[in-house]
Amino acid sequence: MALLEIKNLHAEIEGKEILKGINLTVNAGEVHAIMGPNGSGKSTLCHVLGGREGYEVTQGTITFDGHDLLEMETEERAIAGMLLGFQHPVEIPGVKNIYLLKEALNAKREAQGLDEVDTFTFMKQVRELVASMDMDDAFLHRGVNAGFSGGEKKRNEILQMLLLEPKLALLDETDSGLDIDALKVVSEGINRMRGEERGIILVTHYQRLLNYVEPDFVHVLYKGKIIKSGDKTLAHRLEAEGYQEILEEAS
Amino acid sequence: MSRQGLPEWLSTALPDHAAAPEALAQSARQQVETMGLPGLRDEEWRWTNLRPIHRGNFKTAPGQTAPSVTEAQPAEALPLDNPVRLRFIDGMLQGIPDDLPSGLHLVSLSDADEATRTAAFSPTPAPSADDPNDALVTLNTAMAREGVVIDVDASSVIERPIVIEWLDGATDGAMSHPRVLIRLGQSAQASVIEQSESVGDQPSWRNSVIVSKIAANAALTHIALGLTGPARLSTERCFASLERDARYHSYNMQLGGQVIRREYDIQIDGTGAHSDLIGLMMPRGKQLMDTHTRIVHAAADTTSNEHYRTIADESGRGVFKGRILVERDSQRIQAFQSSNNLLLSDTAEIDAKPELEIYADDVQCSHGATIGRLDEEALFYLRSRGLAAAEARGLLIAGFAQEVIDEIPDETLRYWLTERVQAQLGQHPDVAEA
Repeated sequence: MALLEIKNLHAEIEGKEILKGINLTVNAGEVHAIMGPNGSGKSTLCHVLGGREGYEVTQGTITFDGHDLLEMETEERAIAGMLLGFQHPVEIPGVKNIYLLKEALNAKREAQGLDEVDTFTFMKQVRELVASMDMDDAFLHRGVNAGFSGGEKKRNEILQMLLLEPKLALLDETDSGLDIDALKVVSEGINRMRGEERGIILVTHYQRLLNYVEPDFVHVLYKGKIIKSGDKTLAHRLEAEGYQEILEEAS
Repeated sequence: MSRQGLPEWLSTALPDHAAAPEALAQSARQQVETMGLPGLRDEEWRWTNLRPIHRGNFKTAPGQTAPSVTEAQPAEALPLDNPVRLRFIDGMLQGIPDDLPSGLHLVSLSDADEATRTAAFSPTPAPSADDPNDALVTLNTAMAREGVVIDVDASSVIERPIVIEWLDGATDGAMSHPRVLIRLGQSAQASVIEQSESVGDQPSWRNSVIVSKIAANAALTHIALGLTGPARLSTERCFASLERDARYHSYNMQLGGQVIRREYDIQIDGTGAHSDLIGLMMPRGKQLMDTHTRIVHAAADTTSNEHYRTIADESGRGVFKGRILVERDSQRIQAFQSSNNLLLSDTAEIDAKPELEIYADDVQCSHGATIGRLDEEALFYLRSRGLAAAEARGLLIAGFAQEVIDEIPDETLRYWLTERVQAQLGQHPDVAEA
């Protein structure tokens, strides 16, 4: 059974159709990259998968790990194992990072019938992850993303994923706006998440990320549809030739 | 429109003798009889309806109170290390502790000498005796029978917090008009915490005035904790004057009460002086919580920092008005003010108004007032991490309050307030201090 199966997905926002029949299958163990120019529907796809209000699915189905995803609340999707990495992680001053991490982990554990994580184990694990993401411990006691640089915010997204160990990680332009050092750290984090039991979708505008995280499949999204799919060489072609060539070829 | 004068029950309660020096008290009696209580037509009171006080028919609590009353205790225990406690039950001081730290002198207002009492009734900045906006101070001058004088010697650092417990409503329908004078000598340091609660659930009204005089290089921390009191009406006015390099740090946390109006008048008279005005108000039900602040930068090279937040739920009403006046020759001033407000229901209401009046030219001033609802984007973010919608909402509200609580200097009190606020918000009190 596929981990994620999107069939003929149509979605609109404020009456305007953005997604016009998306089909995508992601199996555990696979890394998919979805690329596309601005306005192609990349962020809309992420929002629909995340359960963001304001997006209406008019046709099609999404099945995630055997569940009808469209019937699930945002938090149910997260608990079931689908985590969305935000293009623009939200700043929440006043809510400490450490508190969010602990609550998020406990929400997942509760759903699995496990006890709350004990503080010692939790802190040990979190500190290791913080170090691995080249971040400072002090960050844990700051507000969620509050006053973070763009790079710090994206590292924080990956940190959350490494802790919460989702079945499917959906990363919406996690690489955008990162300088090369931050990109390497983020990419290493993503590579550590790769595994037999996990699917990863990288939604990206730039081919550069794929130099560090090698995808199994690359899809080109254009005007709300996946117009071409291939292996990693497709990304290299996009880099070399630009979207125009591929678009013409597809049409 | 002609003014109505005082309600009859209040007029008949005006005493022949008060704690203020006789000339001051007598003049105040006459003024307030003519002016009456402030009303919605008075600029500083346009958002604050004192009808519950007008209709209150309050009585001055008897001087000798019954043992059941004098044994009244605060319901909430603050986590303070060996505090110096001054308990007022319906405005009557229940004695002065005898084991005072050196450098700290306490005397009840009624036992103070005339010069001291004159000082207690001569705040800076001076309220106007015939301005209806200041009528409650004038009323306090006319009616104050009791209070306390807190003196700290020069260079004395009082480590023990001085707690003023205002226990109102021990006698049904009691009103009180206490007056407090706090004087810090040069380079002195002290913390005063006001803890306000009502003892019963019957209406009570306290109209208190606190006059702080902070000498050069001294620092006063002044914390107000407005706690339980379903029918507690409270009108509170704080004056503080700051000499050269003095600091006044105020924290105004209003979590309970029916009508709470607190005013700060800060006169920054000496160069290098600094004032912090930090506050959190959480009105709900039909509560009204109102803070008015006025800061006068009357000297060059002075700074002020003001940060207020209101969270209004149900039909709660919050009011914040903050005025900053920079006088003509007060150059190189930094004055920052922010008022951030959160509306949690359609029937809640918040009015926020900054007022800057700047007559000097070398000044850094900023102010910002926001009134909003919970950030949908932030809610989505938290839910996308697996937090249930209700929990995410609670976390955001608590986080909003936390940014003010985090400014409280004492860690233990800060933690206590964090838990107290989260409990009030229906949150579980596990703040990850891990």
